[in-house]
Amino acid sequence: MNSAIPTNVFRFVFIFLVQVMVFKQVTFSLGGLAYIHFIIYPLAILLMPIKTPRGVLLLSAFVMGLALDMFYDSVGIHAATLVFTAYIRNIVIALLEPYDGYNMSDVPTIKNLGIGWVVSYLSITLLIHIFVYFSIEAFSYVFFFEIFLNTIFSFIVSFIVILVAQFIIQTKY
Amino acid sequence: MYNVIQLFAKYGAHILFIILEVVCFALIINYNKTQKDIFLNSSNVFAAKLSEQQNKILQFTNLKAQNDSLMRENATLIENIITSEYLTDKIPAADSLLNQYTLIPTIISSTTIHKRNNYLTLNKGYREGIRSDMGVIASHKGIVGIVRNISENYSQVISLLHSQTKISCAIKNRMGHGSLVWKNMDPLRMTLESIPKHETIAIGDTVITSGYSTMFPKGILVGKIETYNVIPGSNSYNITVKLFNDLTNIKYAYVIQNRFAAEQATLEKEVANE
Repeated sequence: MNSAIPTNVFRFVFIFLVQVMVFKQVTFSLGGLAYIHFIIYPLAILLMPIKTPRGVLLLSAFVMGLALDMFYDSVGIHAATLVFTAYIRNIVIALLEPYDGYNMSDVPTIKNLGIGWVVSYLSITLLIHIFVYFSIEAFSYVFFFEIFLNTIFSFIVSFIVILVAQFIIQTKY
Repeated sequence: MYNVIQLFAKYGAHILFIILEVVCFALIINYNKTQKDIFLNSSNVFAAKLSEQQNKILQFTNLKAQNDSLMRENATLIENIITSEYLTDKIPAADSLLNQYTLIPTIISSTTIHKRNNYLTLNKGYREGIRSDMGVIASHKGIVGIVRNISENYSQVISLLHSQTKISCAIKNRMGHGSLVWKNMDPLRMTLESIPKHETIAIGDTVITSGYSTMFPKGILVGKIETYNVIPGSNSYNITVKLFNDLTNIKYAYVIQNRFAAEQATLEKEVANE
């Protein structure tokens, strides 16, 4: 369990850097209809070991969110969203629990839990995350149509990136 | 105290979640202009969207009133066009505020097109100043017919598409004039007769009203020359004119009121009686 901490810290920093250095630059708009954001930073929280205490999840999500907000000039929006995602993470994990339960040391990877589990886990949490993100960004459901479009398009591109990353980078913890 | 600690141990994560979210939303509202504005007057955003939709719907209900006002506007504009055709060659009227021609906007309440003799009914009549023998046009482009009978509130118009129609027409920028008649049962085409065959004309020339009658002022666009030929032994062209307006689907028409019509008619009658 101890060696899990450096791995997670490293992944945390790595995902943060990739998000602000690479994917922040490729935000583009789709014919003025929807904005496509590559939102991969929830991975830092989602890939933490399954039995990580909730408090740790929430606090690291808060830190990550605020750090992202500094780069995105959107004080609090990423933080609020990521804290929410960290909170519902455990609910989704509980819903998807396999018949024989989780191991204490399980990390949510394809190798440990199988591709079906990883796909449903990541897609559910990511979709919720992106929807909440655009809702808070718009801050009013008057713009429901815009929120809906942005969510759909951003989800598709982000999920492809995240899923490919699961095959390329496979960590032990 | 123990209870509080126990409570915190049990629900710590949830409380932490709520605290963090409150902090985040406080940050969002304080440091982001858009969200702050929306938070402060979110009802206004909603109300604005709602009233915008409401306006869109209500616009339909007063389309009729809007159409009426647009027709009145159109009438004024066409009057101006007719007047400007005259500006160059006319001594100003005694009262220059009153044009020689005024237009009365009307709605066509019924029409036929497929008979040999077609008539239209307009929704205005004697009370609005319509008299018999006034010209009726659809816009600056295209004539409709001539008023025949009038009642208090309606008027009957001899359509262009009538075997008796004979309207004095000329060809723009060419010499000579002839009369426009309907011979071939085609609601889009008419025949222009008695333009002398020594005049030069070309396919595509614009046919306009000549202004010799009291019904139509000079220069109202009628149609374009589609084909022409000279009937052997005849002294004039036989010209097929493609009308600018489609009489099969017109909804509105303007009746032309000519202030000097009676004067001209009286004068011409005196000459005829000699």
